[in-house]
Amino acid sequence: MGRVVTVSGGKGGVGKTFVAANLAKMLSKLYRKSVLLVDIDVSNPCVYTLVNLKVERREPIKIFKPELLKDKCVLCSECVRYCPTHSLLLIPKKELIFIEVLCEGCATCLYVCPFEAIAEGEKIVGWVNATHERDLMRVVYGELVPGSRQEGEVIERTLEFSKQYWDSYNYIIIDTPPGTGRGIMYALQEAEVILSVTEPTKLGLHDLKKLHRLVKRIGKREIVILNKYGIPYGNYEEVENFIKSEELKSYRIPYDNVVLKSYFDGKSVLEYGMELKVVNELRGIVEEVLLRKTS
Amino acid sequence: MIKEIVVASGKGGTGKTFISSNLAFFIKYHLKKEVVCADADVEAPDLILALGGIRKVISERHFYGTKLPIIDYNVCIKCGLCIEACKFNALRMSDRGPTVDYYRCEGLGTCSLVCPVDAIKFKEKAIGKIIVAESNVGIVTVTGDLEIGESNSGRLVYELKKDARNFAERKGAGYIIVDAAPGIGCPVISSLSGSDLLLIVIEPTPQSLKGAKRLMEVSERLNINWYVIINKYDLNLEFSKKMLSMFGPKVLGTIPYDFEVVVSYSRMIPLLSLMPSSRTPTALKDAFGKLFRGFVWEEL
Repeated sequence: MGRVVTVSGGKGGVGKTFVAANLAKMLSKLYRKSVLLVDIDVSNPCVYTLVNLKVERREPIKIFKPELLKDKCVLCSECVRYCPTHSLLLIPKKELIFIEVLCEGCATCLYVCPFEAIAEGEKIVGWVNATHERDLMRVVYGELVPGSRQEGEVIERTLEFSKQYWDSYNYIIIDTPPGTGRGIMYALQEAEVILSVTEPTKLGLHDLKKLHRLVKRIGKREIVILNKYGIPYGNYEEVENFIKSEELKSYRIPYDNVVLKSYFDGKSVLEYGMELKVVNELRGIVEEVLLRKTS
Repeated sequence: MIKEIVVASGKGGTGKTFISSNLAFFIKYHLKKEVVCADADVEAPDLILALGGIRKVISERHFYGTKLPIIDYNVCIKCGLCIEACKFNALRMSDRGPTVDYYRCEGLGTCSLVCPVDAIKFKEKAIGKIIVAESNVGIVTVTGDLEIGESNSGRLVYELKKDARNFAERKGAGYIIVDAAPGIGCPVISSLSGSDLLLIVIEPTPQSLKGAKRLMEVSERLNINWYVIINKYDLNLEFSKKMLSMFGPKVLGTIPYDFEVVVSYSRMIPLLSLMPSSRTPTALKDAFGKLFRGFVWEEL
């Protein structure tokens, strides 16, 4: 099995996707390592916008949804009484209404209906996609259907789906959404090393600290990547003090407009010059962290 | 009637908290109306930092959003009905009977309901905190803080919005500003439900636009009117202009990106308070002013 690296960070917009996609590109292009990039930011998966690969497999992610059988329903309201998410509503003597957006798919209604007036239906809450492989790289990403709440479910099933490829790649790089929730925890638990990306602002540090608590609880190796290093008026001292006090290994990626340009163009930053300081720092992470054997 | 404005974006880091904090400051000190803030980014809450940090905690309470099933093995007959019924695969059979995988359990209670011998009881579990505090610029903020590694963020958001509404009613505040989580998932849907208006913060990148469009889909499904603020406008003028023509009258304003934004962040003072007359704050005031000058509401 390949080595699993999870890229996280707590706050949104600190550069998680940038780091994940560019490390993957560097590993495959410069070091000839095969990489599976797994994007579990299912609200808005963006990794695929940075690599030019086409989707070759796409599967729906489904959950339970009640199918109301009007001819069997006697409007007894048992389902309404027991539904824990209040997604069933009765207009007495008239109609039973299902409010789909509230339903979490627990199927309690299915079990409590005395008249078998509820059947097992299904609802697509997301999609998992796999691209073809090119230049030693493949992307798997999950997508939440807008209006669905089952982010955690889609994340978990995307991770599960991606595992069929884990044996065929040298590296599995997982790009997470912002936050510190359940889905992110799953991705952290899979990792051999966690890259926590942050920026030199109070908010970046605040969210990094919350993520750090989660990483510590799970007991994994953590490397801090301080992105946008050099923005004027940043809170450098506070961030550096935190890194020092927690004895974390860290890297500093300089702030450079070329990063935004590469993101915008949908390309890897490597294509803008191998001599760039940004590239050099990423190379340090690859050589000193990702390529090193851990004991 | 209290008006609830949600600030959200499909992608993280586009400036939700920046816009929320300054909008609240604008309502309080420029419109001179009372406002309550709600931080619904419960996995990474930091709105109150952008409002100057905490001056005084008004109240703090635990939120019990999840019921944990507890199985009484003296009663359990190992029939396995609960395992079959659970749609989240949170139960597995072991030697002593079914065991619960608490990471998978959503706490909805189906197992207890189908148990023929009533062997499953529930224990409430605190999954987060709701803190009501006054910030250093004098704006009351209701913050939801989800325990690390927890799910059910949507229920916490519902609850903290209820607290914000109660507080606003008691204080006679006319506005609630909800700073939503990034993305379009469960906590965002809870942030939107029952609100009056959605402000979508976009930065001029294709990734941010893509996220924003997904958010618009959610908002239209919930029947909530949205407007767009293009933040960091000058990072890519060409793309910003494209978005301006794409969304036309739905664009409330365009906000440039100056380093004073970072200064305001690092000093934890809303930009409108720090340097009210420079370029970015002027653009913010223009955009916010429109909201209340007939664009959405007629208040000025």
